[in-house]
Amino acid sequence: MTAHNFNASLHSASDLQSAQEWFHERKLTDGLPVVPPTPELVGQCLDYALLPADHLIGIEPVRERAITAEKVAINAVLAGCLPPHFPLVVTAITAMLQEPFVMHGATSSTGGCGILMVINGPARTELKMDATFNALGPGDRATTAIGRAVRLVLYNLLDVRPGEADRSTLGHPGKLSYCLAEDEENTPWKPLAEERGVPQYASAVTVMAAGAPRQIMNEWTTEPAEILDTFIAEIKASMLHYSIWAGNYAIVLPPQLRAHFDAAGWSKADVRDYVFEHAKVHRHEWAACGKGAVVANKGDREYRALVSPDHLLVVAAGGPAGGFGAVIPPWLGKTSQAVTVAVGACVDCEI
Amino acid sequence: MAIEFLDPTHENAFGGFELAPRLASLQGAVIAIVSNGKRGTIPFFDALEGAFKTQFAVGEVVRITKGNYSTPVEAERLNDAERWQALVSGVGD
Repeated sequence: MTAHNFNASLHSASDLQSAQEWFHERKLTDGLPVVPPTPELVGQCLDYALLPADHLIGIEPVRERAITAEKVAINAVLAGCLPPHFPLVVTAITAMLQEPFVMHGATSSTGGCGILMVINGPARTELKMDATFNALGPGDRATTAIGRAVRLVLYNLLDVRPGEADRSTLGHPGKLSYCLAEDEENTPWKPLAEERGVPQYASAVTVMAAGAPRQIMNEWTTEPAEILDTFIAEIKASMLHYSIWAGNYAIVLPPQLRAHFDAAGWSKADVRDYVFEHAKVHRHEWAACGKGAVVANKGDREYRALVSPDHLLVVAAGGPAGGFGAVIPPWLGKTSQAVTVAVGACVDCEI
Repeated sequence: MAIEFLDPTHENAFGGFELAPRLASLQGAVIAIVSNGKRGTIPFFDALEGAFKTQFAVGEVVRITKGNYSTPVEAERLNDAERWQALVSGVGD
């Protein structure tokens, strides 16, 4: 292992239980137990990613805080990450630090969104990520730990704790970990990252400031358009009940529903075009759900869910049986935009 | 067995945020107010502007609204800053 010169302070505890309490007492964890980030474990993460401890991953622009590889590695270990998980955590943080993501707003807003991460490429299989059963719930070690690591980075490097920088009114369970691998093996569709410009076969992370998943079900048709109408009804409900503003939406389609799209020859682009065209509401519809006070004289105004078809993230995932899908709404319109970064990419490097 | 572990926090390893020097008086001063752009700031800063003028004899109040309430104020909106004696940055919802 490389000898690293850590800048972080070194603490000690008499045993594992005392170490746990050290982190809980200081609110340095999300409420779950942690893995004490020993210099050896943190060094192994840095070695795996070939990053020196002082490597600058980025600067959070609002509070001008430098995010270094060392501190991200410490939090990755804390969350339960193994060294091979660490490059994906670095990639997720890199993506979140890109300007269109608006990291400060997305992590501190009363709207209470989580950080949805979609993993593509060979890292999924190398790390034994499960994109099938319980895809949006707890499952494999890698997705759970990587998602949690991002949350602990926010906690400990940006003070995004409830009541501190995190001003969420409610939040949602995805704020513990919201990491999803795409089921690339069981679909003819292009992976999400490839559709968003990452070269084929590269691993990548897409981050989106996202509300909780809203589950839908339609097992009574084989027509792609009718299946999408169910997703669209849920998108429209979110527009009326939560926020009417257009932004990124993600939809997750399981194998049972995807089979109908495959049979009919529908690509992801076809899905996006259909949803873009049909996911729209009029402002007067607010009156039926208790928001008549803000309809004013704009009742006939039409609002689309998507700025353009490309703002829909179509993800293949889920267990083999069941006509269940999910709509994942944006935090707040297009204030924050989804960002995709390839693992190992240096987005700020000068060539 | 004792365990040694590394600190996961930022450890305050950053700087640049200190209180600005206080003005001896606001009389005749040019004061800028930067709003985060949310609707709730409007009546609040209207009242603040009124108080500046009526209670503290401020000479001029410059109102600025950020383009995005979640990002720092755009640099071009601060082009005139040399003329200001103080700036109030506030948030509202």
